Amino acid sequence: MVGSFFRSFNRNKVMLLMVLPGAIWFLFFSYLPLVGTIAAFKQYRFSRHGFWYSLVHSKNVGWANFKFLFSTDAAWSITRNTLLYNIAFIVLGLVFAVALAILLSELANKKLAKLYQTGMFLPYFLSWVIVGYFAFSFLSMDRGLLNHTLEYFGMDRMQWYNDPKVWPYILVLVYLWKSIGYSSVVYLASILGIDRSLYEAAMIDGASKMQQVRNITLPMLKPIIIIMTLLAVGKIFYADFGLFYQVPRDSGTLYSVTNVIDTYVYRGLKTTGEIGMSTAAGLYQSVVGFVLVMVSNYVVRKVDKDSALF
Amino acid sequence: MSKMTKKTGLTAAATVTALSLALSACGGNDAKSDSASDKPVELIWYTIGTPQKDVDTVMAEVSKYTQEKINATIKMKMIDWGDYTQKMQVLVASGEPMDIMFTSAGGFDYVQNARKGAFLELDELLDKYGQGIKDTIDPGFLSGSKVDGHNYGIPANKELPQLEVWRFNQNLVDKYKLDTTGVRTLDSLEPLLKTIKAQDPSITPFAMDKNYVPYVPYDYLVTNMPMAVKLDGTDLKVVDILETDEMKQALNTMHKYYQAGYVAPEAATTGSTQDLMTSGKWLLDRAQTQPLAETSWSASNGYPITSTPASDAVITNTSVQGSIMAISANSEHPDKAMEFLNLLNTDPVLRNMVDSGIEGTHYEKIDDKHMKNLDASQNYNMPSYSLGNNMLLYLNENDPDDKWDQFKKFNAEGKPSPILGFNFDSTKVSTEMTAIQNVKEQFWASLMTGTVDPATYLPKAIEQFKSAGLDKIIAEAQTQLDAWVAANKA
Repeated sequence: MVGSFFRSFNRNKVMLLMVLPGAIWFLFFSYLPLVGTIAAFKQYRFSRHGFWYSLVHSKNVGWANFKFLFSTDAAWSITRNTLLYNIAFIVLGLVFAVALAILLSELANKKLAKLYQTGMFLPYFLSWVIVGYFAFSFLSMDRGLLNHTLEYFGMDRMQWYNDPKVWPYILVLVYLWKSIGYSSVVYLASILGIDRSLYEAAMIDGASKMQQVRNITLPMLKPIIIIMTLLAVGKIFYADFGLFYQVPRDSGTLYSVTNVIDTYVYRGLKTTGEIGMSTAAGLYQSVVGFVLVMVSNYVVRKVDKDSALF
Repeated sequence: MSKMTKKTGLTAAATVTALSLALSACGGNDAKSDSASDKPVELIWYTIGTPQKDVDTVMAEVSKYTQEKINATIKMKMIDWGDYTQKMQVLVASGEPMDIMFTSAGGFDYVQNARKGAFLELDELLDKYGQGIKDTIDPGFLSGSKVDGHNYGIPANKELPQLEVWRFNQNLVDKYKLDTTGVRTLDSLEPLLKTIKAQDPSITPFAMDKNYVPYVPYDYLVTNMPMAVKLDGTDLKVVDILETDEMKQALNTMHKYYQAGYVAPEAATTGSTQDLMTSGKWLLDRAQTQPLAETSWSASNGYPITSTPASDAVITNTSVQGSIMAISANSEHPDKAMEFLNLLNTDPVLRNMVDSGIEGTHYEKIDDKHMKNLDASQNYNMPSYSLGNNMLLYLNENDPDDKWDQFKKFNAEGKPSPILGFNFDSTKVSTEMTAIQNVKEQFWASLMTGTVDPATYLPKAIEQFKSAGLDKIIAEAQTQLDAWVAANKA
């Protein structure tokens, strides 16, 4: 038993070494902080004996810290917004990223393909604050590009930051613009890993480009598509804070369509700074995400055992 | 086949992990221990403001002085304006060693953190080492900054009441021969705004950012939350500010102004009016004043700015708690920290060194009262208000000799708010506070700047506040207020 462990350890030591940095990172930033989860059930108060002492000796309040998440009408709208936006992001993000990756891989001019790829990757590195100002330069009431265009065609200016109707589209658009370059690289990497001889065989059989994509590329991409989607499903209760806070410029009239769990928690707690309540919100999001990953992985395993994450 | 796809997937998954690892930077923590000083105690002092290059140099000089006086050295750590509240919350929660820290109604909230146990209760220490503070500082400050009957910090001696004014861009007032003499209420601004809008459409007549709130004669229990008590009221009733006639009327006027184009169209989402101030393309705005404020506004903007009152001068909890130094609950040397605070608030040499730096390097004395900043002062440019007793400071070149006498007069003229000294404890209603905070964020800025029509939005806002639990908060506040009145005013 021990011998076989060492044998397999020895055989895989290069691989294990590669995993090490990631494992350490997870240990420090994901597993160790788990202990702090008890704060979700405490009314956290400072004491002179440091964090751990305070944590242990603060008053137990049971589930009271979770109440604020469910106590108002807002509970329904923030949950709906978070879920629907994330579903839209997962579905559209997948479709566009895969399509883009296939297009890039099929481009004959490799220099041009690199240029496009880099161009689309670039927005991923911008902070949401900067993206927010990009959007503002389009949507500003008196100096925005869109309003100038509307005026040029003799139409009335729009008050973009006061009109909730258009924001679901704007947010999805901005999100895709920023994130697609990154995710398409992942798919592109997998496409490049597909055995070329499959395509050669298909070409000899007279398969068209579309048939090759449908019958070779997509089936070969299936596992990575499933992995990426499962990972995204686990984060479905986490909204991208910057997107929903910076891009709409925190405009109150837009909250019906821009308020998500993360912004709700931030706005509610930024003045009171109740550590217990923010921990409660984080715990709630993690638990729901965990359940969703387990359920969707279970479903995937039922359908196709090989593609499941675990 | 299936084995190979699995491998492709793994490669890609590894790519993802590698990418996300490469992309996630983790902030380093370069806390280094300081050179061991044998006997004197080192006090760690956290304060607000953009970190200055020469802090350590100046503090070395300060330490020489304090070591002689009270056998303590000073290590100052500055945290920038925007980060202060958040970073301090983390530092305090994690038990980072510190002795003295800045706190106020606006940054790292004084009352809440006092209740959470972040600060040491100072009643005894004040009696023991703080006699100088008691003798120097306006007593209104010490009594107004009590939380549940105890002192948790030493307020900086500065302007005591809160006085709202209308500020005018005097260049435009002169150019269009506007008459500002009869101005006081919000409605009285209309003719001025109208004239300027007609004469020069490129001017923003009424400058404001998203934090603007029309002035109504009420004292808020929590800044920018709707619970308030009328200033001249005798019965001390907590009300929803949005349901008061004064606020309703003010919001109607604001909406009228917004529709007339007197207010910038994006006001409700604008964080700062700094670009308007720089360009001078504004006619008026509202601000809080203090003696000689007009001079400093004019100097910092480069053109004349005048002002007329928009309210009475009122001493409120917020104005009293504008700048406080507290001693950390985990301080290892509370006695020394108190001695230092006492010295800081009574000793002109120390106070000016902390404020302006080293004489001859950062500033030079002109006569015994006045000083002049030297070029190096840009490496040590501190926010004076946050550091301690302002009335010990040397005067700037152009300040009148009686500057601090003017402050004392201004302070003496302020009328205390009927609820001065009452601090609402929201612990019992923290769920509701969180909920109404969200409602507030949703409606506040767009209503207050006049962006939306109060006829439709005000009832909506009032109703949402109620459904989020505002009535429960008001009832709780009323109970606490009644108990406070019974204990303090009877």
